[in-house]
Formats: sequence, structure tokens, C-alpha cells
Amino acid sequence: MTKQPVQQAPSVNFEAMTLKDAIDLAVLIEEEARDRYEELAAQLILHRTPAAANFFTKMVRIEELHRSQLLEQRRKQFGDQPVTVRREMIFDVEAPDYDEARMNMTQRQALEVALRSEQKAHKFFVSVLANVQNPEVRRLFEELCDEELEHQQLVKAEMAKLPPPGPHDHVDVGDGPAPQ
Amino acid sequence: MTAPPLQAKDYKSELKPIWCPGCGDFGVLQGLYRALASIGRPPHEVAFISGIGCSSRIPGYTTAYGFNTVHGRSLPIAQGVKLSNPELLVVVAGGDGDGFSIGGGHVPHAVRRNMDLTYLVMDNQVYGLTKGQLSPTSPKGLETVTSPLGSLEDPINPLLYMLAYGCGFVAQATPADMPGMAALIEDAIRYPGFSFVNIQSPCVTFGEEDQQLKAHKTKLKPLESLGHDPTDQLAAMDLARAYGTELYTGVFYKNPKPPPTYEALVKLRQAEQAKKARPRDRVLDAYLQK
Amino acid sequence: MRACSGHLPETKLLVRRLICVPVHPLHRASVRMLDDLILGMAGAGGDGVVSAGESLLNAASSEGYHALMTKSFGSQIRGGESSCRVRLSTKKVLNPGGALDVMVALNWEDFFKFGAELPLSVNTVLIYEEKAGPPPDTLKARGVIPKEMVSVPINELTKKSAGSDKAKTSVVLGLLSGWFGIPSAGIERGLQKKFGSKGEGLLEANQKALATGIEYAKGHPLAAPHELARPEASAGSKLLCDGNDMCAAGALFAGVKFFGGYPITPSTEVMQTLSKEIWKYGGAVLQCEDEIAGIGSAVGASFAGRKSMTATSGPGMDLKTEILGLATIAELPLVILNVQRGGPSTGLPTKAEQSDLLQAAFSGHGDVLRPVLAPTDVEDTFRITVEAFNVAEEFQTPVIILSDQEIAQRKEAVDQIDTSRFSLVERKVPTEAELAEKPYARFALTESGISPISHPGLKGGTYLAAGIEHNEKGDPTSGGVMHAKMNDKRFRKLEPLKKRADLFEQHGNPQAPLGLIAWGSTAGVAREAFLLAKKQGHDVKLLVPYLLNPVAEAVYQGFFESLKHGLLVELSHQGQLYRLLRMYTDVPKGLRSLCRSGANPFQPTELVTRLIELRGLPS
Ligand SMILES: Cc1ncc(C[n+]2csc(CCOP(=O)(O)OP(=O)(O)O)c2C)c(N)n1
Ligand code: SF4
Ligand SMILES: [Mg+2]
Repeated sequence: MTKQPVQQAPSVNFEAMTLKDAIDLAVLIEEEARDRYEELAAQLILHRTPAAANFFTKMVRIEELHRSQLLEQRRKQFGDQPVTVRREMIFDVEAPDYDEARMNMTQRQALEVALRSEQKAHKFFVSVLANVQNPEVRRLFEELCDEELEHQQLVKAEMAKLPPPGPHDHVDVGDGPAPQ
Repeated sequence: MTAPPLQAKDYKSELKPIWCPGCGDFGVLQGLYRALASIGRPPHEVAFISGIGCSSRIPGYTTAYGFNTVHGRSLPIAQGVKLSNPELLVVVAGGDGDGFSIGGGHVPHAVRRNMDLTYLVMDNQVYGLTKGQLSPTSPKGLETVTSPLGSLEDPINPLLYMLAYGCGFVAQATPADMPGMAALIEDAIRYPGFSFVNIQSPCVTFGEEDQQLKAHKTKLKPLESLGHDPTDQLAAMDLARAYGTELYTGVFYKNPKPPPTYEALVKLRQAEQAKKARPRDRVLDAYLQK
Repeated sequence: MRACSGHLPETKLLVRRLICVPVHPLHRASVRMLDDLILGMAGAGGDGVVSAGESLLNAASSEGYHALMTKSFGSQIRGGESSCRVRLSTKKVLNPGGALDVMVALNWEDFFKFGAELPLSVNTVLIYEEKAGPPPDTLKARGVIPKEMVSVPINELTKKSAGSDKAKTSVVLGLLSGWFGIPSAGIERGLQKKFGSKGEGLLEANQKALATGIEYAKGHPLAAPHELARPEASAGSKLLCDGNDMCAAGALFAGVKFFGGYPITPSTEVMQTLSKEIWKYGGAVLQCEDEIAGIGSAVGASFAGRKSMTATSGPGMDLKTEILGLATIAELPLVILNVQRGGPSTGLPTKAEQSDLLQAAFSGHGDVLRPVLAPTDVEDTFRITVEAFNVAEEFQTPVIILSDQEIAQRKEAVDQIDTSRFSLVERKVPTEAELAEKPYARFALTESGISPISHPGLKGGTYLAAGIEHNEKGDPTSGGVMHAKMNDKRFRKLEPLKKRADLFEQHGNPQAPLGLIAWGSTAGVAREAFLLAKKQGHDVKLLVPYLLNPVAEAVYQGFFESLKHGLLVELSHQGQLYRLLRMYTDVPKGLRSLCRSGANPFQPTELVTRLIELRGLPS
């Protein structure tokens, strides 16, 4: 087995990162997740998978909430100082992978996607923290790290409310794609 | 005042992809947006040409000029575009069937003409759009609707083909490694000549389980980590032979001394010949009997 | 472009053609001043008779004659039998003509291989190599015995004068000059051009051979001496070229910037010429890997905003079909030249046929209306090519030029063309201001059906071109309502084309009860037939369409009104224009299809005979 691909773009230097850049990056991470959930929701609406689509739409709102909270914090601390980090510096930190979506996926499966994404994000912050020296930045990432754990609990709680998984959840009985 | 730098979202069109949820092409599209943003050419200076197939739908999902042509003919059409306006950034895309079956005859010629085009093949080893038939890159023995008893033929090896044709830039990527893929696409576009990226882009609907992104994530081996020297053409060919068994990602070969492109030579010729031009309304004088 | 169509030299009719024909056996006077002369030559490929024909053509055209040459070869790549026909005239030459006035046979075997191409009549002067012996019985078996048969020791004369047998055709040219009054100065100049740089002594040898030929003719006068009249003083210098040259020139004049193609007889010369010339005008030629790539790259160039074209013949046309459809639905201007040859499949690659009209109009799936234009001779190939670009650009559509092997490859000396008669049309491109004003809709459903077309590089004009049906913006759709609207748009926009009177040529009394319709290379024969019939006192009219598709119903319906009897003449087994007209117009009973397979062109007298015969039939 070979090594896992690196999950952060090489252009981000976490060791020397300022708090402003760290918050801005966190904003972008939430933004990326929000946009991805939005895309996945759109895909599933197009492919008539409403339960999962509704859940992903809910995730859009949650990620947007996180983003606006972070933005608020940023505004308080740094006003309208220019943003110097770019969305292109990060890849799929908290955003689910594209191949997580499936036509006819159940709500439980959708929740599992969210859970995996929160786990992925948690892993990311843990790995980043290993390199961060700046105490303010450390504190921010630690907070975020904890939040990811909290989110995981929330998703799990949500899952517990669902009826238990059916025996045929993984079977796709839908029509194949329309031929062209 | 300089315009703010372009972002990935500036290349994203309003059209919603019709791909199956989970299709590898979503990731490819995302990687492409990133590569384009990083290069920074405004969308109206980009021409994006494709054939027919699920993957060939991709130009419509960008804000660039797009031409979703007919099955297998994207390369010749792209060459006409490039020669007519060499200033454009021309990207060509399509599937494994589009590029290596019906369009296979065009590939060596596109390569040997060496125009500054970037050719992205979304290789899913199957015909997606027509619902799961055998493709030229399907492994031998694969059972599909047109090979219900297993295919009897060996697949072609796109990497080895391209290297043998003399392609100056040959790489392989997978959306399982998004940063790596985006960087490769960018590198390919920046290469001054014909460049090729074989993107292992899984088909969730008709593809094999062991060809999905989850599997890619555990299988992929970056060539960089193997210490491969991308200027070594023979080493590249040796590695490329493992297509279908190993999932190498990264640059197999990049010509360290790119020769002049076709369009550059055309420009020189046009400049040199322009002196000899008769006024256009006197073209018939060439046939005048004195 | 509004150019008048070619005029017919009605005043001084080429009546002599009539005399040559067995069905009208009038007698010639013994002293002949000719204003029209048809010569044929046949020999082994190594003899160079075609090259001699070219010399003759050059010489005549530089003297101000109108002239036309066709050539024909055996199937060997080189060195088989070869032949040529040259028609010289003081008037515009309308077609290669029928039976020969003069035939030069260097040996019998090769001559007899060209039955249909080199027809003799009772009026022909047959000149043959003495060594070949008297004409064999094959000649008698053909039923026409030429009135004068002259044997000449051509080989011997050549050896004696030139010291080798490499100057045989110069002796022949000398004979023709001496016997038929073709000015030798032009021939001399031609020799200089041809042999001046080809090795020590060769020019001198040929000059001597020419002089010997002239000398011999003077010493051995024909029983019925002929002399070609001098061309009109005002004739001026001529253009000497073939239809393919004219097409290439027309394309350059129209501003072609890209040509993508794959070699195929008999269209290749267009690509060859452009390969030399197009760079001078900032364009490029791409010799592609096949015809699909040829039209593909041309479509790409058009998408990029440039005037572009491809050229081919039957088999290549078959391959291009799919991308033709793409150009139609993506509404991209494009010119496609099809130089027709005999089909189907490889068919008769070096012979003319008019059997691709239905393909031009209908090939490909889906509802398609595709403009098809056909030149009728070398000269108007220029105009029709320019017109094709104009139509393509104005209406954003592929346009097919249907030429054929005869027009494309026959060499003709024609009057110079005043290019200031033509105006050029450019596609309607939205301005950056317009694009900034509101979102761009590439396929906007305008009243005319024409919507401004942008191209890569233009800010604000980005759109998706595609083979898939689209909405006004260009986004894919599979909705029936939008599909119907777009089909309607693509048909509607071409309506004005049908009203273009300048794309039709009509002659004669509009109320005439007799009529001829012909297109393409057959039109030249029909023009001469029309003049002959009129000369004979028949009330006849002629219609030559340059626009074959869309079918201009009103033009034909108008022509049909007075028609009691008529012929639609075309060189194909089915008579494809006749069938097309039956689809779109009420073809009167009296209009009959006169058609036959290719490689066997019609003769003017034949058309007159067939037309007159009709009068007895019910209309
Ligand atoms: C001339 C022609 N033949 C066949 C088709 C049907 N067709 C459309 S896409 C396709 C194959 C698609 O496979 P691939 O190129 O691998 O693209 P994918 O859908 O897998 O991305 C075929 C056979 C067509 N559109 N045109
Ligand atoms: S059929 Fe396969 S290739 Fe096509 S969109 Fe679906 S997953 Fe993608
Ligand atoms: Mg495929």
C-alpha cells in the first residue's frame, strides 16, 4: 500500500501563518464545504433523490452559518484588511468528495457522507496543528478541531433518530441513465 | 487599476451538469476550473472543444467558448480553431471511446503536428453515455452489455501510444488526488506544444468497483515518489507499460526542449510569404496570358 | 454580390457545328474561314500529346483566342494512352464541342481506346503517323469515314530535323499551324518557356521540328484548306486556367483564411493552389489525415471566426456528412467544394457526372436545408465560389459548390474577370458594446432567422456551440418546442436566397413553348443547343440555375408557364435535378428528363434533335 495523497496544497505555509490568514482560510474551508453540499444537493435534485438532497441542503445552511460566524470574528479583529489567501490553496478539506453522492442514496447514507467529511476535516486540522507555532493560530485551529468533533456527534445523534438501516439500502433499483 | 485575479468560480457556468452523482467527471471539472484560474486567462480567450460522450459535455459547464462537436472529431476541429487564432488557449476533452476508438485515427496526427493544445481524456474504461459498452481501454475479459461473455480483446494503452507518437507532454491523473490533478492540468496547459493528460475518471454507473475513486486513493502511486525523471522518455515508456495494472500519476514525459509549435511555424511562413501577395482583387493575374 | 450572368455570343453563331453533324448533312464550301476549330490528339503517354495540347492552348490564348482543352488518360499511372481535345474559337467557348474537325493519331491502338472522347465525323481531317499504316477496319466499323485522311511521316520528320525523337509533338504543332493557320509565334514562345531551361539543344531541336512541320504542311496542302480566323482586335489578353484554379482564386478573393482537406481526384488542385497561395494572405492550409478531419478543421476555423473551406469529391463527401450536419445546427459558415466524378464508390474517378446533387441537398440525418450552388464553366466557377462564401457568411450555413470533373479540370482561355463587380459579405458579428449591453444569445430567434455570431476572443460573447439541439442561448435542450423553433429558424433564414434572380440565367422568349433546362457542365452544351435551335427558327428558351438548393419554386414555376415541351438535361442515370424539382414544384408533363450516366457528355446537336422530336408528343 502506498502513501495517501497529500490533502493540502503545497502553497500554504502553516508554520508562518498569521491569525488573519488562518481565519480567512477557515472561512474558505467552510465556503468550499457549503458550495460542495450545494452542488451535491443540485445533483440529487436533478436525479430525484429528495431525502439526501434535503439533507445536503440543510448542510449548506449549516456550513454557511459556520462561515458567517467566522467572518464575523474576522471582521471584529481585522476589519476590512485585504484577504491574501485564496480558495485555490485548499482542496476538499471539509467538503465531501464528489464521488460521495449517488443516485437514490438514502438519508442515512447522506448523513454518513457528512460524517466522513467531518472526520476528514478533523484529521486535516490535527495534521496542520503539528506544524503551527503561532499560539493564536494554534488556538483557532484547536477550536475548529473541537468543533469538527462536536459536529460528528451531532451527525451521529441525527443518525440515531433515523429508522435503522434497511437490508436493501445499497441496492440500486432505479432505471439506468437515459441513452443518448 | 488591474482587474482582481480570476478565481475558479469565474470559469463555472450556470449550466448544471447532468452527470450521474458520483461521476469522476465532476472532480475533473473542478480541477480544470482551478487550473484555469491559476493560469488566469479570461474565459473568453479560452476555447474548449470536445467530442461526444458523458465526458464531452464538459465545455458547457465552463464560461469559456465551448464547442461540443461530434463523436471522435474534437482534435481536428480544435486544430482548425488553434490555427485560425493561435492566441487562444485551446483545451480539448473527451472520453476514452471518443479519443481512442472512433477518434483514434486523429490522435497521432494531432500529436505530430504539435500545436499548442492540451488534450484531456477522461478515461473510464467504458462507454458511459451509451450505457456501458466495451471501450478501447476496457481490460480484457471485461463483461459489459456488448461483451456479456467477457471481452476477447486487449485494451489499448493510451500512455504508451502517446509516448510512441512522440507527444512532448504525457501525464496521468485521477480526481482521487485533486491537488495533483489540478496541478497536472495546469502544467499540461503551460507546456508549449501538444500535451496529453490521461485522467482516470471513474464511471460510477457502469464502471468496475476497483476503478472507483475510493480504490484509486489506495492504489495511486505518484511518479514523483518513485523518483522518475520526466525528461527520460525511455523510462517513461517503461513505466507506461504498467497501464491497466498500476495507477501511476504525474508526468511520465515532458520534453525539456519543446520544439517550435505548428502555429509558430505557420506564423513565420505567413510573414515571409506576405511580401509576395498580390492585391486580393488581382489574384487572377496569376493566370494571365501575356 | 449582384453580378450579371455570362452573356451568350448570339450575334455570330457557331453554325459550323451544325454542318459537321451527320443528321444535318449540309455541304461545306471548299474554302473555309473558321471561327471555331476542334482538334484532338492521341498517343502513348510518352509522346506528350497532352503537353502539346497545352502548348497549343497557351499559344492560342496568348494570341487572344478563346480556347478550351480537356484531357483523358488510360488507367495506368504513367505511360498509358493519353489524349486531349482543344477547341479554339474567336468567341466564348461554351463547351468542349462534339465531333472533331481535326484528329491527330500517333498510333491507331491508342486512338481507338478513346472512342467517346474523340468522335470523328464525315467532316473530320484525320492526320496519322505514316508508320502506323493505313487506318484499320476498326475505323470503318464505327460507321463514319472522315472526308480526308492524311498520313505524315511524323517520326521520320522529327528524326531528320531534331536529330532525336524527343520533338515529335513539335512537328505536330507545326503541321497544325501550317494547315489551319494557327499563329506560330505563340507556339514558338511556348517552346521557349517549356524547353528554354531543359537541357542543352532541346529548345533548338524543337524549334527545328516546329519549322519542319510548318514547312511540310505548306508543301502538302489539304484537299479542303482551312484557316482559323483572327481573334477580334479587342480581344485582349486572356486568363488561362481550369475550374479548380478559378475556385482557388475565388476563395482567395473572397478572403478564405483556412483550408482543411485530404487529396482526392478531381478536386486536389484546389488544395494544391491554396497550399502555395493562402499564406500570403495570412491564412493556412492543413493537409489532414482524412476528409473528416478536413471538414472538421474547417468547421473549427469557422467557429474561430475565419472564412474557411474544404474541397473533395464523392467518396470524401460521404465521409464529411456528419460534420456537415454539425455546421448546420451550430450555424457555422463553411464552403465545401465537391468536384463530382462518376459514382457510387470509387466509380469513375476521372470522369464527370452530375450524380451528387441529391447527396448535396439531402445527405445527413435530420431536417436540413443546405444551399447548393453549381458553376457551369471555368469562368463562372470564380463567381460561384465568391457567391458561396457570401451565402455562407450571410446565412451562417455550410454551402456546397457542386462542380464536376469537366469544369474543374478543363483548361480554358477566358476573358479577364472584373473583380470590382463583386462585393464581399462578412458574417454579422455582435459588437463589444452590444455584448456588454445584455446577455448574449447566440441563437436568438430573430425575425430573419439570422442571429449575430461571436467567436472565441470576443469579450462577452462566450457561448456553447454544439451538435446537440440548443435554446437561444446555446444551452443543450431536448425539448420538442425549442427544437421545432430552431428548425424553423434554420429553414426560415434561407428563404431570401430563393429570390436571388442573379443565381439563374434565362435566355430566349419568356413565352416560348420550347425550353431547355441544364445545370453544371451540361449547361454549356445546352447554351450552344439553344443558340442552334434559335438559329433554326425555333421559339425556344433556356434556364440555367446556379442555385440548385433551396429550390426556388417561383423561378421554375414562371419558366414552366408557357412551356409545352422541354428537356431537363443532366449527366446522371436518375436525372437528379428533375427529381428534386418534382419534389418542390409542379413539373409540367411536357418537361422531360433527358439524362444518362457520366463520362458520356451530351452534344449540342443531340439536344436540338431531341428537343424538336418532342413537338410531336402530347404536352
Ligand atoms: C458517429 C457516432 N457513433 C456513435 C455515437 C454514440 N456514442 C455517443 S458517446 C459514445 C461513447 C462514449 O464513450 P466515451 O467516449 O468513452 O465517453 P464517456 O461517455 O465514457 O465519457 C457513443 C458510442 C455517436 N454519438 N456518434
Ligand atoms: S454514465 Fe458514467 S461516465 Fe456517464 S455520467 Fe454517469 S457516471 Fe459519469
Ligand atoms: Mg468512456
